[in-house]
Amino acid sequence: TARTLVPGLSVLAHLEKLETQVNRSRKKLEEPQGAQAVESSLGTKIRDKLRSEVKQRQARVAVRDTSVEPDQTLEISEQKAWERKRENVKAILQAYRFTGLSGKLTSRGVCVCIHTAFEGTLLDSYFVDLVIQKPLRIHHHSIPAFIPLEEISAKYLQTNIQHFLFSLCEYLNAYAGRKYQADQLQRDFAAFLAGPLQRNSLCNVLSFTYKVELRGQAFTFCARLLYKDLTVTLPTDVTVTHQGMDTLPTSWEEQRASHENLFCTKALHKVFASFTQREKLDMSLVH
Amino acid sequence: MDETVAEFIKRTILKIPMTKMMTVLKAWDFLSENQLQTVNFRKRKESLAQDLVLLCEENGVSLNDAALLDIIYTQFHRHQRVWDLFQMAKEPGEDIDLSDMEQFKSSFKKILQRALKNVTVTFRDTEENAVWIRIAWGTQYRKPNQYKPAYVMYYSQTPYAFISFSQLRSNTPLLCQALTIASKHHQIVKMDLRSRYLDSLKAIVFKQYNQNFETHNSATHLQERRLGLDINMDSRIIHENRIEKDRVHRVTQEIFGDYSQPRLEFAQYKLETKFKSDLNGGILAEREEPLRCLVKFSSPHLLEALKSLASAGIADAPLSPLLTCIPSKGMNYFKIKDK
Repeated sequence: TARTLVPGLSVLAHLEKLETQVNRSRKKLEEPQGAQAVESSLGTKIRDKLRSEVKQRQARVAVRDTSVEPDQTLEISEQKAWERKRENVKAILQAYRFTGLSGKLTSRGVCVCIHTAFEGTLLDSYFVDLVIQKPLRIHHHSIPAFIPLEEISAKYLQTNIQHFLFSLCEYLNAYAGRKYQADQLQRDFAAFLAGPLQRNSLCNVLSFTYKVELRGQAFTFCARLLYKDLTVTLPTDVTVTHQGMDTLPTSWEEQRASHENLFCTKALHKVFASFTQREKLDMSLVH
Repeated sequence: MDETVAEFIKRTILKIPMTKMMTVLKAWDFLSENQLQTVNFRKRKESLAQDLVLLCEENGVSLNDAALLDIIYTQFHRHQRVWDLFQMAKEPGEDIDLSDMEQFKSSFKKILQRALKNVTVTFRDTEENAVWIRIAWGTQYRKPNQYKPAYVMYYSQTPYAFISFSQLRSNTPLLCQALTIASKHHQIVKMDLRSRYLDSLKAIVFKQYNQNFETHNSATHLQERRLGLDINMDSRIIHENRIEKDRVHRVTQEIFGDYSQPRLEFAQYKLETKFKSDLNGGILAEREEPLRCLVKFSSPHLLEALKSLASAGIADAPLSPLLTCIPSKGMNYFKIKDK
């Protein structure tokens, strides 16, 4: 029956055990970085465990469905199909609670809430209100217009609601992460910027000019960050060029190249934080 | 300085109501605080405008600055223009848009300038990654007419453009083409939605008008609200038709929701249907061709008015879906034919 789709006692007990483990280790570790590292690795473990659990359960249900007698399938009313779909979504939401998905069953379906986060910081939440009918449809939502919701719906909504939610989660989390990095840059490191930060709605094209000082010399660089994959928070293409008429001395050419690499591998605001640290170090060495 | 620019600024300033004068000038940010302080704002408007124009000349005002002032005036008075909605589409499976706002603007301007030798294009960025574009049209031999501009509002990386046309309609195809190409789309289509209320159009098309979502906290609020209805009523009033009244309220709530409706001023239905009548015979009933008629609903706030129809006893609940589908379908122009 449909009820067996709800996570059984064994899975819940396991999850509770993992949860207490996280809480215990969080209390033990004083350093926030340490706790985050433990949390993230445990979080990954939990998430992977959950994913495999849900996959196993779905496989079991799929087998059960196909083995039902032909007579019985004819008798399954629309109401039961609706209920089963509803319970399925409820199960997905309960299982993916830790991955930022939550939801509430409504009179006509379910209202899903996607909480976004980037590197431990909780960001905006977005809602999708689903009507469980044939076909499944979105009643209303708070997803920004530039997120390709229609594309994602067209691909997965009718056939694989889990994939639909996952994909949407991916896009939203990535967008929120990119936006967060751009906002942080503008907020905390405006002193480095020689002009306004150019961005677009999706924050997948960022252009800015910044000045770097080292050992008494200052140079201006122009950076252009492209995120060709909308599900990532690190750029896929980075170009850093020298702004100015004079040619760059070799040591600075190395700097420029290293910056390109830095932007590809580290979060934007973290790169600038490292610049600040380096400048401070530099100053302390000089004086 | 160009006489035409001075005249243009003067005429724009004269349009601004005195209550908004300071706000608009500050938003324009072309005259400094000090300069504004030297002006006597209690003068007659004509005289005030002349003083302001003199200050502008001191600062070396250009046509672009004047056009920016016009944009700001329009932004403050956006409901004075009628806005149409256009939807753009990409080819299926196309790469994601990697252009930024600067590329869009430069591309848009180039396309127009290549086609029309005389055209003034001005941009003003707003928050939320949107841009306002002002276009003054000229011809091969005539300078642009600054008094009949068209306006476009566009949110980057979305398929929607909000356009307010000038009276010079012949340039519409060119404008649409420039928008489509510059925003990396392949096709543009006019939607059946238009209104003076730009912000409502935005709410409808981006589906932002209903931001009430059921979360774990919201159930209790609904309960409280129902009780509130009872408490406010005078105990001396007995409702005869209580059940029906509750039903109407519930149905209206289901259809229109709990939120404030986006503002539209009309809905238009073009009917091309055969006459249907219960009575036997009659000339109209024998007609084979469909009747053509136009039904237009007008209101200062159409959707709120429709929402109150059933509870006011003027219409049955639920209302016809032709009326209630307006925000969800994003249409207020309908063509109805027999199936």
